[in-house]
Amino acid sequence: MANVTLTDVSKRFAETTALDTVSLEIEDGEFFTLVGPSGCGKTTTLRTIAGFETPTEGTVAFDSEDVAGVPVEERDVGIVFQNYALFPHMTVAENVAYSLRFRDAPGGATKDERVTELLELVDLAGMGDRDPSELSGGQQQRVALARSLAPGPSLLLLDEPMSALDARLRETLRRQVKRIQQELDITTIYVTHDQEEALSISDRLAVMHNGRVEQVGTPREVYRTPDTRFVAEFIGDNNVLTGTITDRDDASGNATIEVDDHALTLADVGDRTVGDTVTFCVRPEALSQTATENRFTMTVETAEFLGETTRIYGRWNDRQIVVRLDDVPDRETIELGFSPDAATILEP
Amino acid sequence: MTRLPVRWRAEHALQAVAGLVVAGLLVVMFYYPVATVLADAFLQQGYGPLALVLDPLHAITTEVIHGILASPFFFGAAHTLFEDPVVVPGDVATYTWTVLQTARPTLVDRLPFVVFVHDAGHVSFGLFGFTVYQALLSTILSVIIGLPGAWVLARFEFPGRKTIRSLTAVPFVMPSIMVAVGFIAMFGQQGTLNDGLRALHLPTINILYSLEIIVLAHAFYDAPLVARVTAAAWETVDSRMVESARSLGASDRTAFKHVVLPQLTPAILTGALLTFVFSFLSFAIVLTLGGLEYATVEVWMYQSVRELKFQQAAGIGVLETTLSLAVTYAYLRYESKQTTTRAAHPPARKRLFERFSLDRLAVAGIALFAIILFVGPVVSMLLESVTGPQGFTLRNYAFLLQRQTEAYSFQVKPLTAVTNSLLFGVGCLLLAVPMGLLIAVLSTRGFRGRKVIDALAMAPFAVSGVVVGLGLLRGLVFGVTLFGYRFTVSGPVAIVAAHAVGSYPFVVRNVAPILGSLDRQLVEAARSLGATRTRALYDIELPLVASGILAGTAFAFALSVGEFDSTVILATGGQGYTMPVAIERFIGRRLGPATAMGCVLLVVTAVSFVVIDRVGEGFQRG
Repeated sequence: MANVTLTDVSKRFAETTALDTVSLEIEDGEFFTLVGPSGCGKTTTLRTIAGFETPTEGTVAFDSEDVAGVPVEERDVGIVFQNYALFPHMTVAENVAYSLRFRDAPGGATKDERVTELLELVDLAGMGDRDPSELSGGQQQRVALARSLAPGPSLLLLDEPMSALDARLRETLRRQVKRIQQELDITTIYVTHDQEEALSISDRLAVMHNGRVEQVGTPREVYRTPDTRFVAEFIGDNNVLTGTITDRDDASGNATIEVDDHALTLADVGDRTVGDTVTFCVRPEALSQTATENRFTMTVETAEFLGETTRIYGRWNDRQIVVRLDDVPDRETIELGFSPDAATILEP
Repeated sequence: MTRLPVRWRAEHALQAVAGLVVAGLLVVMFYYPVATVLADAFLQQGYGPLALVLDPLHAITTEVIHGILASPFFFGAAHTLFEDPVVVPGDVATYTWTVLQTARPTLVDRLPFVVFVHDAGHVSFGLFGFTVYQALLSTILSVIIGLPGAWVLARFEFPGRKTIRSLTAVPFVMPSIMVAVGFIAMFGQQGTLNDGLRALHLPTINILYSLEIIVLAHAFYDAPLVARVTAAAWETVDSRMVESARSLGASDRTAFKHVVLPQLTPAILTGALLTFVFSFLSFAIVLTLGGLEYATVEVWMYQSVRELKFQQAAGIGVLETTLSLAVTYAYLRYESKQTTTRAAHPPARKRLFERFSLDRLAVAGIALFAIILFVGPVVSMLLESVTGPQGFTLRNYAFLLQRQTEAYSFQVKPLTAVTNSLLFGVGCLLLAVPMGLLIAVLSTRGFRGRKVIDALAMAPFAVSGVVVGLGLLRGLVFGVTLFGYRFTVSGPVAIVAAHAVGSYPFVVRNVAPILGSLDRQLVEAARSLGATRTRALYDIELPLVASGILAGTAFAFALSVGEFDSTVILATGGQGYTMPVAIERFIGRRLGPATAMGCVLLVVTAVSFVVIDRVGEGFQRG
């Protein structure tokens, strides 16, 4: 088991800054996810922790010990790659056993015992003699997982392990990975660009953008109270609005905000004062036809029927608005409203 | 902010040492010899290559080069350009005047080449002009023969198509001297062609020792190359592009002209350029099929070496290499501007044996011609090797195994030639395979200066075998003085070095593409599982490129056994002659043993080729 600390890690390549003063603290046994759009620096962060990249500045520490200069093969990390990276000239069992050429199997098990144990763990018992090319994508990814776990690493790194798989399989494998992680109680860092996957699998997650960490928190915190506009728009659907404070009740912190000559009431604007511009967001599911406050009229443009809910896109004045309702509305305009404490104020 | 230094690692040192060893070998086996040739061409006699740096003012002279450039023998009518550049060559003025006098100048009269100027009634090319001329003719003929071949290979489906397609790569490993033997067996006075003509009571033909047979032999070599690259490009033309053009109103013919042809042009130019450079630097074929009467620069350089005119040989070598490098460079500039696309939907092939049609008749014609040109010489060589005055005989092969104790020392002993060839082949492998492998590994690792290493390591591709042979002869066999000691290398060692220099780029070419296309994450996965970088190389990368290494080995062996150009220079003095050298010495007097040896070379070539074709995917891709 290990905890991992990144302190002000920056990575600059010739022209670009891949990481900009990234600081993270990943706890023992935690399932931690790095999520963000491509090019945000999440994979570079993972590769820096693994030891494939050397930070330009800052330190990476395992259990408070600086690992600068420790080569990958001595860092005691298991890595699962996006395209599996199974050795094509070895069987499944040889792949899984590869690390045991360099390290003893944990618990004094023999090589064969360890391979059997791991293949059972990933539900591939009896597949040891196959060639990797004979397996499906999902099976190959499980072999890669078993291989990375064989030497009993104290840290498991997963780099977009499921992005090559189809959606249904991804959900199954996601649950399997989570189960194995909990069973082994291993510190796991998971990289994905899929925000839904990040929300569903993680204990905590870090949202990254342009080489910086935008927000760290539990899935709930990040979803419900995004810190920045980027997080608000990247994680889930959202309606981001901007207005000016025209009135403020110091006792409650409630404020009146004018958006396009329309007065809205928000709860708790912090220390912002009259005349300040504020950006805030309201989740689609927080908008309702029955809410009594902050009502406005939306012109319906398109509706997507999703089964358990319907996502409706429309306009309020010039603003795009998205809302979730039970079914497709039968009118061209609908009245919507939201409660003052359903809005979250964002950092500019 | 200071950082802990990355831990010093043995494998970095190992990589550096390996790099230095390869660099050292290249310097000794290639760069120093080539520098010797440069020194011969540019330095006053008595100065060594080091004088270029130490005492350039006194040492450097352009006399040799200028002597060649300004000589009518080498440059024909163009020599006056170098002799006195300000004056318009007198010949040109006279020639222009004659053309103007003619009422209707023909196209030939108007040829705008200053080089080809009428001189007392004929065109005076000079040696360089003639070499360019025969290379141009060879290129034109190779393209004329190669394009229909490409059409058949790309557009028709028939049993054996894939085999024929891979056979088009054979010229890469086929010894040029073997082609020459085949051509003599086919087209010689007593060759199969004339035997056939006599049997039909037709007049015989004699095209041996003529420009025609040289050009034909070059086409034998290079037309398959043109066909190969053109067919490869043809197969990548997306059929949907043609379909789009048709749907927009183009006829079949117009669609070909507007859509297919523009995409074939770069490939045709590639084939033509390679043909030109190969024919320009062709040596064994010109020497054996043309003789001194049709000498090209390479042959004349060899002749100069034999006459011990080393400075002149060096001067020719420098000019020749400059010219071929310039052509290649110009082409690479052109090629870098081309973009290639991979066809998701290659055009469907027509079944060849289905019903009669005009284009299928054309295919039959092409096939007949191909059989005569390509199969003829090989079969003639085989037949000649097993026929004697009394019909079938194995006498020629028995002759190869004779110890021939009674032979004079200056005579070629056939068994010695066979064993020498095999020994040098093995020696070449021992050098070329590790070198090629190391260079492939170094050139696919990402580090600064990689491109420079790539270029320096691949340079031997661009220098002809005769120049390498000359450099090794002058630089190493004649000896070099270092710190008061004189180092000399024996002829056989120099031959092995020359073969290794000529063949390791093929090992690199077979290994590097596979190595480069290996998923980087395979190595990263191995390292995360506890393997060091070097261990990952052994466990993961080398097993996965084994097929490339095997193909490279086959290439290196075939090239070594068939190598003639540098061997014939280094084997002077009756020591270290190989089968190709023996063939050249036999060819004028005893065709039988020459064809028998040619058949031995054929077997080596064929076996190597099968290995390359079966396992060498890097080559197929490249």
